[in-house]
Amino acid sequence: MTNIVETHGLTKIYDKTIRAVDDLNVEIREGEIFGLLGPNGAGKTTTIHMLTTITRPTAGSAQVGGHDVIKEPRKVRAITGYSAQEAGVDEYSSGREYLTLFGHYYHLDRNTIQTRANELLELLELTDAADRLVATYSGGMRKRLEIGTALMHRPQLLVVDEPTLGLDIQTRVRIWEYLRRLNSDGMSILLTTHYLEETDKLCDRVAIVDHGRVVALGTPAELKGEIHGDVVSLTFPVDETEQYTQMTAKVRQALSGQDFVRDVQPAGEALNVYVDQGGVAVPQILRLLEANGVTVGEIALARPSLDDVFLKYTGRKIREEKGKAVGARAAWMRRPR
Amino acid sequence: MFSWLWDTWYTLLRYLRTFVHNPFWMLILLIQPMIWLVLFTQLFQSITTLGFTTGSYVQFFAPGLIVMLAVFNANALAFRLLNDINYGVLVKMIATPVNRYALITGGLLYIAVTWVLQVIVVLIVSFFMGAQVATGVGGILMTFLIVSLLGIGLTGLVAAIAVTMKRPEPVVLIANLITLPLMFLSSILIPAYLAPQWIQNVMKFNPVNYAILAVRPLFLTGFDWTAISQALAVCAAFALIAIFVETAAFRRFGG
Repeated sequence: MTNIVETHGLTKIYDKTIRAVDDLNVEIREGEIFGLLGPNGAGKTTTIHMLTTITRPTAGSAQVGGHDVIKEPRKVRAITGYSAQEAGVDEYSSGREYLTLFGHYYHLDRNTIQTRANELLELLELTDAADRLVATYSGGMRKRLEIGTALMHRPQLLVVDEPTLGLDIQTRVRIWEYLRRLNSDGMSILLTTHYLEETDKLCDRVAIVDHGRVVALGTPAELKGEIHGDVVSLTFPVDETEQYTQMTAKVRQALSGQDFVRDVQPAGEALNVYVDQGGVAVPQILRLLEANGVTVGEIALARPSLDDVFLKYTGRKIREEKGKAVGARAAWMRRPR
Repeated sequence: MFSWLWDTWYTLLRYLRTFVHNPFWMLILLIQPMIWLVLFTQLFQSITTLGFTTGSYVQFFAPGLIVMLAVFNANALAFRLLNDINYGVLVKMIATPVNRYALITGGLLYIAVTWVLQVIVVLIVSFFMGAQVATGVGGILMTFLIVSLLGIGLTGLVAAIAVTMKRPEPVVLIANLITLPLMFLSSILIPAYLAPQWIQNVMKFNPVNYAILAVRPLFLTGFDWTAISQALAVCAAFALIAIFVETAAFRRFGG
């Protein structure tokens, strides 16, 4: 199977010090839906901006469809469709006019543009609104139109930055459907997201990125499989960080040497204990903790999710979204409201 | 080459289509020069008593207004670009195979088209107020050539600032900072000899002044080839520099 995207040591450094993307190596296979999963500021947008020739890499190289993004940017642009993170639409034109403009920018002929615009309006359920000003569109309609502009030339690779950011659940499900349909017609798709559900439902393979590096890569099932068994999540009736740290230490001590305990990881307010069989483990854990003088506040049992995978590799929950300097640079891409 | 021309055409059409959707904007754009023509000629009427060779102030001011409109329109492209940047449109465009220069030339042409429409209004209204063009159609075409070059220069520079800054606030500040001085440090409103010596000295560094010095005789007396060649040289150089700077700004845009 050939690769639609290959990156070799791809690096972007802003202001000489901020490594937004740091020695990134990924291979995306033709025909797959590949997800870049990570918190804000992880370097996802910078990565896809380099792959779509918008941003010039500082070091390393990348090929899209066999073409080098630095040496043959025109060839890359011709086979790539880029859908921006924020609704990249022109409020002063109608939906059809906006699609037509991009058709011209992709250098398609008039008839093709007309046919293709109609097809896409149909696919994205915008036919009724096609000749209305985009200013009257809802958020979901704008996002659909925006994805449509990236599809005018039937790209080999569709690059979507946060396909469903800020959209309601019905719209999200519909956009997932469109993406799956495009993919089943043979289009390779690269998407970024910080919704775990999105990668779980949509992606064939996922790369978890943090601080501009790939920290884990595989199918969602493989990644979750790396965390065996179940997660027992514990909280303690303490207020202060110091006490919490003490509790954590005590728990580790109490559970150390127990065969059924795979790992103990702090997770924000809680402490996650990864075990083989949750149902059997819970009473055992409680007994051990009580014997060691640890009082448990709440106890919860869950199947491992990608969140746990993320936590395992980065030591953080994906939704914590601590403001990172790396993300600040790309902030102008987002609408300031 | 062909892709540049076609992409320029579609970019221009996209900008102009705004007026189809908002005919009211077009109306304001065309009424604006009429208001200025009336207000300025009323306000500055008495200047003619200071020893003007031209009979009326309209005759003197009409060519000035044509240049002034080019100065005032210089911000319009910057604001369209800022809107496109804000809504993530420009970043999408540069991910397509569209010719880079076409995005620039299409925008500059859009400003030129709106300016030409305004000039036509000025010519018609000032004609009815008693002003005439001494050099006829040839003079009007020469006016278009000189002032278009000036307009490209000014519009390109403000656009470059917009694409570099990516936010409206500094662009508004900078544009306001330079627009009025450019106008007042030229002989658009009054003849140069009525201005203090230091302003007359500064005028020599203002491309706007070269344009008006070449254009005004076209309306009042005839072709002043010395002034015309100077204006063409200065304004063409200015336009080239601006296009160069704007191209560089577009190149840096994606980071």
